[in-house]
Amino acid sequence: MASLERPVCQIFSFQDCKTSPDPIFELPAQCLTPTSAPIVIDNGSFQTRAGWGAPVAEFASPRLLFRSVAARSRGAARSETQIGNDITNLEPLRWLLKSQFDRNVVVNFEIQELIFDYVFTHLGVASEGSVEHPMVLTEAPCNPLHCRQMMSELLFECYHVPYVSYGVDGLYSFYYNNYHRNIHPPHTGIVLSSGYHCSHILPVINGRLDAVNCKRVNVAGSQAASYLQRLLHLKYPGHLAAITLSRMEELLHEHSYTAVDYHEELEKWRSPDFYEREVHRMQLPFSGKVPGGCVSVEERQERRAQQLRRLQEINARRREEKLQQDHVRLDKLMAVQELLDDGLLDQFHKSLVELNMDSAEELQSYINKLQLAVEQGRQKLLHSDGAEGKMEVGVTPPNQRKIPMDEGDGVMLMDPDFPEDTLPEKPANVVQPMFNMAEYHQLFVGTERLRCPEILFQPSLTGEDQMGLMETLQYVLARYTPEQQEALVSNVFLTGGNMQYPGMRERVERELLAMRPFQSHFKVTMASQPALDAWYGARDWALEHPPGGAAEGWISRQDYEEKGGEYLSEHCSSNVFIPMKLAKPVAARPAESSITTQTSTAASAGISMITSALTPSCSTVAADVSMVTS
Amino acid sequence: MTVVETVSEVKPAGSVDSGPTATAESTAKPPPFKDPSFMHSGIGGAAAGKKNRTWKNLKQILALERTLPWKLNDPNYYNIDAPPSLKPAKKYSDISGLPANYTDPQTKLRFTSSEEFSYIRLLPTDVVTGYLALRKATCIVP
Repeated sequence: MASLERPVCQIFSFQDCKTSPDPIFELPAQCLTPTSAPIVIDNGSFQTRAGWGAPVAEFASPRLLFRSVAARSRGAARSETQIGNDITNLEPLRWLLKSQFDRNVVVNFEIQELIFDYVFTHLGVASEGSVEHPMVLTEAPCNPLHCRQMMSELLFECYHVPYVSYGVDGLYSFYYNNYHRNIHPPHTGIVLSSGYHCSHILPVINGRLDAVNCKRVNVAGSQAASYLQRLLHLKYPGHLAAITLSRMEELLHEHSYTAVDYHEELEKWRSPDFYEREVHRMQLPFSGKVPGGCVSVEERQERRAQQLRRLQEINARRREEKLQQDHVRLDKLMAVQELLDDGLLDQFHKSLVELNMDSAEELQSYINKLQLAVEQGRQKLLHSDGAEGKMEVGVTPPNQRKIPMDEGDGVMLMDPDFPEDTLPEKPANVVQPMFNMAEYHQLFVGTERLRCPEILFQPSLTGEDQMGLMETLQYVLARYTPEQQEALVSNVFLTGGNMQYPGMRERVERELLAMRPFQSHFKVTMASQPALDAWYGARDWALEHPPGGAAEGWISRQDYEEKGGEYLSEHCSSNVFIPMKLAKPVAARPAESSITTQTSTAASAGISMITSALTPSCSTVAADVSMVTS
Repeated sequence: MTVVETVSEVKPAGSVDSGPTATAESTAKPPPFKDPSFMHSGIGGAAAGKKNRTWKNLKQILALERTLPWKLNDPNYYNIDAPPSLKPAKKYSDISGLPANYTDPQTKLRFTSSEEFSYIRLLPTDVVTGYLALRKATCIVP
């Protein structure tokens, strides 16, 4: 490359945020007097947000924010279940994590119950026998009646709440933002809401959801995260374990963006310069102590120097010992020699036999050899003592150190391990590995930065044949008259956690421009806090519409008992309610097949079920009662 | 609700550390605000109220919803699904995500440049099938 300055290399590391357990709040006095304040829960499939709907500035934000997950190890007690922020790091427990959701609908009410327990306990509710607070809860658009029924049953019969109100998260957010933009109700507009599991197109006409024309796209944040995870798994098969879903979510939250024009943006990425500039290198944590020589050069040299020093010490000690031994032996031989000199011949011969020698000459030569060896050893010891201080690492070639061992004569015991120890060092000394450990542990996140958010607009990227978000919007708009279309696009509203990518609004504007008639007007707004506004909207709604009597939007306990669990009192941010008699659940297997026959007698069966459930009897008895009535 | 823990015959190794605390906690009182006699009901719940009951998944719930006497224009969960796309799917490289003009006849992977092609040819088969599965293109018939 001609340019001298290297392109800015963007290296990031994963934050791996840890959550800390939520405190258990005191029940604030303002929430009990004059009336008990509603508890507002945005029951999202990604995160649960809970707080008070009290007109106190202190409670104007959700008190609890936690992932909607529960983890219980097998065989542990139910009370042992960890919920949301109890789990500081999701990854080790990933295989145990359970959610009450299947897609965007609550199906597992046992976990939902645990979540409610957690919320109420942490909000400080400690009343005996019931939760004396109205509840505002979000649900999926067009929530199946069965699910609402189960939810109402849980709230009214387990917690004995006085009132419940259900609304749609995207609509609450729409309500909140319109309110703050001083648009007075009834509102008209079209909401594009994208959450964790599903995205929705929700047309709102005169303050009511036009549910007939609302559509759902089954692509959202979780799909983007798993798509990114899979892509990186395939790109870096060596880092399978390090590419975790939590990190992928972080990548999506912090490093991804929506291309205004996907095709044009990709053409930019084709250029190597652009790639170098824009690629985010994600540094994975790594330790230098990986076996297989994957360490830096300095570390290698340091380690080798240590090994050398150790070997030298061992050698010196061994040499000293040998010298000592030789010395002792020499003294002994000298004593025998003296016997000869003194003329004690028979003693001398006896000693020779003991020493396994034949003649005086042999003894003499042996003594000479030993003397030589001792002298050499002594000199070497002195020499190495002096040299030790100024010994340079790697300078002493191993073969030079080998010489003294070789020149020792037959008597000296060769220590075979020393040369073997040092010899393999030699080639390692020469090789300078250019392997960069840090770079090996970097994930290059290039086009993935825009490729994963793009699946919202092109589900075909993941092989889904469903329409993308904007195509669905066009499809929905086409069902209205031109005047209605005009009114709807004058307030296109984006909300939901998956809409937070930079460039999202521009992208929607661009595509709208392409699909709307020439010189027509439209307005796209983004929620002020896309992920949290549903909660704020629900709180505002609760403040504006206090429960009581037959207030719109609230389901009282009496309503529940008279109209059934699936009953919904509509309001500006709710689903539409289609009166449909749903059989009160009967605890018997054949109920599934006989559901149609039971719908006719549903009302009476439902009531009988409630009364029987109120008495503290076993559920099988209750089932028998309702079986009889049906 | 009295929580009686039926200890499973073999405890997995992972829960050993939480074993003693679990037994101690099993006698912990449920939160005071709950109705102690509450049991979840549930359609088809022979196991209703049992601890190890299985909950219906969304598919089963929707199958149940379909049996209800809906009118033609009633919105409900299963008919608000967006219809299949009418536009042809654009083709992008499986490796780089760039617009792709070529398909490798051997692996069926899409690619944009000769470098990518040589990279594809070096890929092990499990990675190749991984890429294909990612866009649900593992079907044998092309």
